[in-house]
Amino acid sequence: MPACSTKCGKTAILKRPKTGDALCKECFFEAFENEIHYTIERAKLFRPGSTVAIAASGGKDSTVLAYVLKLLNEKFNYQLKLVLLSIDEGITGYRDDSLNTVKQNKEDYGMDLKILSYKELYGWTMDEIVAEIGRKNNCTFCGVFRRQALDRGAYLLKVDYVATGHNADDIAETVLMNILRGDIARLNRCTSIITDSGDGIPRVKPLKYAFEKEIVMYAYFKKLIYFTTECVFAPNAYRGHARVLLKDLEKIDPTIIMNIIKSGEDLKVAETTKIPTLTRCVRCNYVSSQDVCKACILLEGLNKGLPRLGIGKSSKVKRLLKENEEKTSSCNSKNCCNAKPEKSHCLCKTTIPSIS
Amino acid sequence: MCSIGNELENGSEKYMPHIDKTQVDKQKCNKCKEATPCILLRGKDSYCKPCFLLNTNHKFKLLLGKSKLIRPRDKVLVTYEIGHPSTALLHLIRDGLNLNTPKKLTFDPVFVFVDDQYHLSLSERKDVISNILTEAAHHEFKIKFLSFVDWVLYNRIILSDNSDYIKADDGDKIVSLFTKKMNETNRKEFFNIEKKNALIAVAKQLECKFIFKPDISVDVASNLLINISLGKGSQISMDTGFCDDRDDSVKVLSPLRLFDMKELAFYNLLNKLNPVAIRQIKVDPYSSAQNLLKKFVTELQEGYPATVTTVVKTGDKLVSDIKVLGKCKFCKGPVFKNSELNSEESTHFSKLVSTYLPDRDMSKQDRFDDIKKTFESTVYMTPQHCYSCSKISEYLLDDGSD
Repeated sequence: MPACSTKCGKTAILKRPKTGDALCKECFFEAFENEIHYTIERAKLFRPGSTVAIAASGGKDSTVLAYVLKLLNEKFNYQLKLVLLSIDEGITGYRDDSLNTVKQNKEDYGMDLKILSYKELYGWTMDEIVAEIGRKNNCTFCGVFRRQALDRGAYLLKVDYVATGHNADDIAETVLMNILRGDIARLNRCTSIITDSGDGIPRVKPLKYAFEKEIVMYAYFKKLIYFTTECVFAPNAYRGHARVLLKDLEKIDPTIIMNIIKSGEDLKVAETTKIPTLTRCVRCNYVSSQDVCKACILLEGLNKGLPRLGIGKSSKVKRLLKENEEKTSSCNSKNCCNAKPEKSHCLCKTTIPSIS
Repeated sequence: MCSIGNELENGSEKYMPHIDKTQVDKQKCNKCKEATPCILLRGKDSYCKPCFLLNTNHKFKLLLGKSKLIRPRDKVLVTYEIGHPSTALLHLIRDGLNLNTPKKLTFDPVFVFVDDQYHLSLSERKDVISNILTEAAHHEFKIKFLSFVDWVLYNRIILSDNSDYIKADDGDKIVSLFTKKMNETNRKEFFNIEKKNALIAVAKQLECKFIFKPDISVDVASNLLINISLGKGSQISMDTGFCDDRDDSVKVLSPLRLFDMKELAFYNLLNKLNPVAIRQIKVDPYSSAQNLLKKFVTELQEGYPATVTTVVKTGDKLVSDIKVLGKCKFCKGPVFKNSELNSEESTHFSKLVSTYLPDRDMSKQDRFDDIKKTFESTVYMTPQHCYSCSKISEYLLDDGSD
């Protein structure tokens, strides 16, 4: 290994993918922490005296985030109250184990921990959902529910910010994915370091400019305890597509990750383009681009035995919801459910087609 | 990892439904509803020969007409590139010029081939030029040849009517251009921009107001992803849109951007046109971002043709609205400064902290303040190059102009 680029006299232990410089362990820690602090200070991520919920999954990103935020909070006197917020999706063999890691972090870092489960929020665990829908599309449920669960958790804890462990690779991957999917609205906002989910609790990404590889190296050299197993129900196939492309690009030149983020920050959607406006869900009052939010639609599908209801284009979903409502109301008006309790005779439960 | 292909999956859900393409024989043409179709586009629309040819011609003129940019008798430089798109373009333009209806094309085309085929032998290069001349003559067009090496090395425009300009050492000269080691991605981008600049210079010399480039949908989609990967997000609307107007006097148009290769290859086949054949070099997809993204989009086109359209349409919805400080000296793209924390600034800061020796006797906070002061005191002049070109600027010769 070459000598450390800072000329401190020590031998380097790693080559930084972000800049190509070789650093020794001590200088790497210093550089990594200074960069996160610079990001936090320069982008004004936190107000002094605030309470910050760290979205903790037990994985490398959130573990490093919790560790670094605690360290910087003490060294640079942010005056923040840090708490851990975890979501228990109810995935046996995955989340139960990773939550043990979070519980360990809670002890190690001396932070409060709040665990919210899908079961208590929605009445369904992911295990039960997968039993219902199968292994295809189950990520749709998990993703939609987790986003909302985090927001609800933040609201319950009355925190001022939610900090997530999204790293530079995640952001670059999301930019590529949104282009491939043609998702203009998300493309417009996915590179923002602070986003608002409509409830006044900003979501911040302090690790936005930190490379995944460096996060792993930081966790490794600091001997942080984190959970590495992949979800047993598999990541989303589409994101996988963008991820493979990004990893291949990274092999050619790791600085491409920063280039992609730069592109994402600079591009803007034409004003003439129709972008869905954010409104409130008529059922649960959660922020949504449709009348009924995705979580409510998915939940309705699950509860009515039509798990595929929310899967697919939103226009089709809307049409089905309307049909569903009409049939249910006509069914209720005739009291057919009461008169003929057999499932097969009830319009509201059996004859509505599911989207395949 | 991925749930697709999992044995728990039930077989019918695992794959997309199979569409039997032989069904086309039993269908009627989508347009006239009478004749037997001969081509299936987008995996669902079938057309008979006359309807397909008419449609292709119409689609070409529609995009040009809709833009309302070209006036009668305007001179247009048409870039010739080896392959189906240019061969089809020659025919489409000749067809349009020969019309006697109000839909007749009224501009005055000048064809130019930028010769950068340095992987070929001397005799192969001469053969290519002679074949291109024959092809152009078949459509009653004249074509001029630009020596790319003379442009890149000496900024000279040498336009020829034949292959006399070809020198045996052209390829070596291009290789010797870079004394420092430049990665393949930046090298490709350098030549790409030089080629564009050469064409604009030629257009100005030939008094053309417009340039046609033969990019098709796959090119547009891969260019968009390449731009994203090179940090040129602010230039997407110029580089992948219908009209690139970064030069004040010459506009670069892509009249074939909505066509796919199948359409144009079939157009050529049905018109009995054969594109010039050329020996290709084997490309390693992992040698540069451009090669990788071209491979990615080509495979996408085969597996999910709709995604290519999605990428093209996404690009059409993007604009650059950043407060521009000036134009990049090399690519003429917008140069701007973002006052908010951005990826470029973060990389600069990372570079500094990775090469700055902290004084360990100071407290962590003082060490940070010290490095931050150094960072802020670095005076960044208004950059002369855009973010992407700044990475290749060290290889560029200063031409002395401001």
